[in-house]
Amino acid sequence: MANFYAPIDDTKYLIDEFLDTSELSDVSMFSEMTPDLTDAIFEEAGKITESLLFPLNRSGDEQGCTLKNGNVTTPDGFKEAYKKMTRSGWGNLTCSTEYGGQGLPHYIANSVDEMIISSNISFSIYMGLTIGAYNAVEKFGTEELKKKFLPNMVSGKWSGTMCLTEPHCGTDLGLIRSKAIPQDDGSYNISGSKIFISAGEHDLTENILHLVLARTPNSPKGIKGISLFLVPKIKVNDGGGLGELNNVVCSAIEYKMGIKASSTCAMEFEGSNGFLVGELNKGMKAMFIMMNSARIHVGIQGLALAHVSYCGAVDYAKDRIQGRALTGAKQPEKVADALIVHPDIRRMLMTMKAYTEGARALSTWLSFKLDISHHSTDPTKRQQADKLVSLLTPVFKSFLTDMGETVTSLGMQIYGGHGYIRENGMEQYLRDARICQIYEGANGVQALDLVGRKLPAHMGESLRYFFHPLSKFLTQHSDDDSLDPYIQPLSKAFSRLQNATLFIAKKGLSNPDEVGAAASDYLKLFGFVAIGYMWAQMAEQIINNKGNMPDTFYDAKLKTGRFYMQRLLPQTESLLSSLMSGSDNIMDLAESQF
Amino acid sequence: MSIETVAVIGAGVMGSGIAAQIANAGKKVLLLDIVPDGAENRSIIAKSAIQKLLKVKPAALMHKRNAKLITPGNLEDNLNDLADVDWIIEVIIERLDLKQALYQKIDAVRKPNCIISSNTSTLPLADLTAGLPKSFTANFLITHFFNPPRYMRLLEMVKGPQTNPEAVATLAHFCDHQLGKGIVKCNDTPGFIANRIGAYWMQTAMLETMRLKLSVDEADAICGRPMGIPKTGVFGLMDLVGIDLMPHILDSMVHSLPKSDAFHAQAVIPGVVKKMIADGYTGRKGKGGFYRLNKSAGKKTKESINLITGDYASSEKATLDSLHPSIAKDLQKLISFDDKGGEFAWSVLSKTLSYSAGLVPEIGNNIEAIDRAMTLGYNWKYGPFELIDKIGVDWFIKKLESEQQTIPPILMAAKGKTFYRFNNGERRCLNLAGEYKTLQREKGILLLADIKLQQEPVKTNSSASLWDIGDGVLCLEFHSKMNSIDPDILSMIDTAVEIIPNQYKALVLYNEADNYSVGANIGLALFAANIAAWPQIEGMVKSGQDTYQALKHAPFPVVGAPAGMALGGGCESILHCDAIQAHAESYIGLVEAGVGLVPAWGGSKEMLTRWMGNPKRAKGPMPAISKVFEIISTATVSTSAAEAKSLLFMQENDGITMNKERLLFDAKNKALAMVDGYSPTECSELSLPGATARTALNLAVTSFVQSGKATEYDGVVADQLALILSGDETDMAELHNEGDLLTLERKAFMSLIKQNKTRHLNVFNIPSKQANL
Repeated sequence: MANFYAPIDDTKYLIDEFLDTSELSDVSMFSEMTPDLTDAIFEEAGKITESLLFPLNRSGDEQGCTLKNGNVTTPDGFKEAYKKMTRSGWGNLTCSTEYGGQGLPHYIANSVDEMIISSNISFSIYMGLTIGAYNAVEKFGTEELKKKFLPNMVSGKWSGTMCLTEPHCGTDLGLIRSKAIPQDDGSYNISGSKIFISAGEHDLTENILHLVLARTPNSPKGIKGISLFLVPKIKVNDGGGLGELNNVVCSAIEYKMGIKASSTCAMEFEGSNGFLVGELNKGMKAMFIMMNSARIHVGIQGLALAHVSYCGAVDYAKDRIQGRALTGAKQPEKVADALIVHPDIRRMLMTMKAYTEGARALSTWLSFKLDISHHSTDPTKRQQADKLVSLLTPVFKSFLTDMGETVTSLGMQIYGGHGYIRENGMEQYLRDARICQIYEGANGVQALDLVGRKLPAHMGESLRYFFHPLSKFLTQHSDDDSLDPYIQPLSKAFSRLQNATLFIAKKGLSNPDEVGAAASDYLKLFGFVAIGYMWAQMAEQIINNKGNMPDTFYDAKLKTGRFYMQRLLPQTESLLSSLMSGSDNIMDLAESQF
Repeated sequence: MSIETVAVIGAGVMGSGIAAQIANAGKKVLLLDIVPDGAENRSIIAKSAIQKLLKVKPAALMHKRNAKLITPGNLEDNLNDLADVDWIIEVIIERLDLKQALYQKIDAVRKPNCIISSNTSTLPLADLTAGLPKSFTANFLITHFFNPPRYMRLLEMVKGPQTNPEAVATLAHFCDHQLGKGIVKCNDTPGFIANRIGAYWMQTAMLETMRLKLSVDEADAICGRPMGIPKTGVFGLMDLVGIDLMPHILDSMVHSLPKSDAFHAQAVIPGVVKKMIADGYTGRKGKGGFYRLNKSAGKKTKESINLITGDYASSEKATLDSLHPSIAKDLQKLISFDDKGGEFAWSVLSKTLSYSAGLVPEIGNNIEAIDRAMTLGYNWKYGPFELIDKIGVDWFIKKLESEQQTIPPILMAAKGKTFYRFNNGERRCLNLAGEYKTLQREKGILLLADIKLQQEPVKTNSSASLWDIGDGVLCLEFHSKMNSIDPDILSMIDTAVEIIPNQYKALVLYNEADNYSVGANIGLALFAANIAAWPQIEGMVKSGQDTYQALKHAPFPVVGAPAGMALGGGCESILHCDAIQAHAESYIGLVEAGVGLVPAWGGSKEMLTRWMGNPKRAKGPMPAISKVFEIISTATVSTSAAEAKSLLFMQENDGITMNKERLLFDAKNKALAMVDGYSPTECSELSLPGATARTALNLAVTSFVQSGKATEYDGVVADQLALILSGDETDMAELHNEGDLLTLERKAFMSLIKQNKTRHLNVFNIPSKQANL
């Protein structure tokens, strides 16, 4: 039976020891984050996710959501759990204290989010969307809008959505057709159809606030004529009380492969009254600014599902007895040895563990960079951190969600046939993980964003903030023999990444197809190096400057890191030769030959 | 007969500009004007004109010392000096009576063979010479220069029925070879060729803009690059030329053109423009024009006038559908496109092209001359007849017919054909009789464009090609973006060095782009620096050094023939040639310090070698080293080939060609002259003073940094340059060979690029040097 253990130790280690937060120690919000406080947060988060959310995961998947007369009913237990979670503040960790939030940094909140997602990704979506909508209003809304809507979003009384996709356009939002007609009172009446709206309609909160992309009459064509509007499901009176319905109707919900307890809605707006958020025709700009944190969040979904799948796999590999160890019986008293004695089972478990822990380190590290980009007192540091985060966001989103698919598939594999049947819950993780590679910008689009937008900007300036520290780290430790197993493989992978980057930079000047053909392999190569960098830093720290965790913890880290360097990182070699082979092998076939 | 001394009468902007260009040719020139009433200094007008020449931007003089070739004077005291000159140009106010009176005076003193010309742009030659003796009219022509005379390549020349052909030939030869002008011989008709068509085009564009209610930004976006016209478009051009000039031009045209001429319909100055002129909004020289820079609130915003209201508002980039590259890059698509941009394009183009075609044979029989006048005088990429070929003769006729427009005879003659035809590498063009005549280049003109019609390149890649230009000489042409030096260009140089010894005799580096080369493409190096790919960067530096060394020591003569900018790595390419034959308008410099780097493809080494080997240099190595240090650390760029000689980018025996069309011919001859008995350049050796020199050079920079005239990083760059030039850890007893200096260049370059400060030069920001009319 699948099980979930919140990764408390690993999270504590990453936050208390691995991460160097001194860069923001002059900001009170960060100096207050002492281990006493953060450890308590993680332990509490672990408890509530293990005991409250995880038990609803399987049942929610089986039961799914139902639509009747325009109302969506979430699975049993969701409503109560939502109330508990939001009341105890788990839904507003990063929200400003001004509106009743906790005001916590991203690097803390994202670790908690990982636990929430692991325990029940469908459930987490309702809370996550509210935060997305909150961020948009908080950053771009007028004071009036903020006062009127934010407190109830923060308290969990109302929830939020992001309405972007329309039936004819998803990736290419320039084609949006929804209309916003200006009204005399300065508000707008919105009409149009939106699809794939997560949490578009449900029974968890008394009101739902939709952030809708639409165009006003005579706005410029394409992406430059799109504006963002806040449209409540139920109108809100000046006093803050609920008024009449606002013609926002859920016309259908989708039947999906996974995340079945999350209601994915088709929404109809018919002259629904709404308010402009941010500037007219600058809706996409607002979207882009929020994209980094939203995409990082999806990357964390990949990580979280990998982790919960690993939990189930380890339990099973230790419990299930089947066959004998190749070197002789390990548990002669039993009729067979536990699965975990078999090298191939271990190969799978190590792969899961090495990916997951490496990704968690990257997640914590990158979340802190996101915090620097928002809160550093030095504008140059803010700007550089922002460039670094923008560069790594597509890598993080794609690599971690691809990794999520790989790891949840391995988790199922370890169970054999028992993983493929629904009863044990392992196949659900794989189904749930699959969407993460698709939504919030498909992984192929992320790869294009990386090579087409992030790489070439300012002659590759963003790259500097990743490549230079890494290069320096490698030079610094190149003579340290005890670090050889980490530094040597990483150095090789790093020069592969440099060569691939130069290759793309050169090709990009002459043939865009070459760049497009190299994009996905390049992103993977980048992801492997980024996680390798995390493993090497962890190893360096443990070898040269051990902290307060038990010795077995450090020992396991070093051995898992070595596995990553020797068993996973070498994939960079094949990725490099694949991408250097050029675009001809992809593009040469005529369309009719397909 | 040859022209050795010249007199210019009239020291206004045009007159003094013409005098400057004659001085640029190394000829003595007398500049005369009237004596102002009661003036103490009787030559004050000419004298102050020369003072202005030294300051004017863009510079009229190619070298400050050329001012000494211009002798100021006045028409009363110095009239007799006219007896010594071979050519007198009259550039006084456009008044017939004054001009005729002047000619009488001149005729009394001039020597018999002296040629006289007028720079008039509005008065007919027949009127100018009325009443003058045949001995005068036989030597009289109109030479119409364009402003500014140094930079505008067109010279319209008009002869009268009595003008002696020898005088025409002498003057044309002089203006072509010495002044570098493209001569177009015109009939004696109002506005000659360029301004007749140009003024019609500008007026038409302005009136059509108003009729179709386009913004000036939209009009210039259409009536600019898409039509092969400089991006200033039509309103930007009028701002440059002076909006108040238009009424004068229109007046003289209207007075001299027959009523039947289509010009009259366009010769209207709209009220809003009249008001602009009255209020002082005459263009860049006034308070602003159709565009202006609003500098309020500490910000500079470009504003455009609204032609309907007369108010200014922030300029907005034109976003017409017709400006989408898929439309705007195809002229036929643009003029057929269904929006007001397309309508505007068709309207302006069809009117201008049929007007031009209708002027054959009135303004000239030769359509090639008409095209040439517009390309040289208005910087159009294509002349009117080339434009008609681009949109298709038959298509154009059909469209005109559908609008019930009359079809000019020359256009009918071209029906079913094209105006230009290329047969077996020959350029041929159509005449009014419907026959094709071969266009012959003058002797001494050799163009790569012509060679390309005749043959395939010997070798080619995406950035460079090798062409066989005859007599065993290869020409290496750059054609990368902005002609920046990239790995493909380097590899083509390697190829040339490899194949020439077996099959050819010499090499010329030359191309026909606006700029020879703006520098090395450091984009890739900067990119590599961002990803800390240090060995790869050092490899790029080394490979450039190796290639240029191979060029320098190749067993055959190499001539560098730059025109326009030759900067950074482009400059270094010609520094490694045996000789340079440069166009007079060559802007040469090592600008690496401007981006926070040092020249490391042998540029520092070559400049040091040149200055150390300069026979005129002062004693001891320091003066030479300091000079090179100054030139490179301040990123000095010569403003002409003449100045490049003073800076030793060019040497004593290097040549200058005034006329760009003659550059390749001259360069080729220079190369051929070196073939017999050629021995490869030997490796030079220098003794350098070492650390003490580095300290001394740094001392000067420190004061600049301290006073805030240079940034701290400028100091770091200068120190690395000082490292190269001082020879690093050495003393005078030790000899440095070229390899040692190249190693130092690499060391300095790598140290700089590893720092976070290297800036990306905006090499594409080319100063505008053009104006019209």
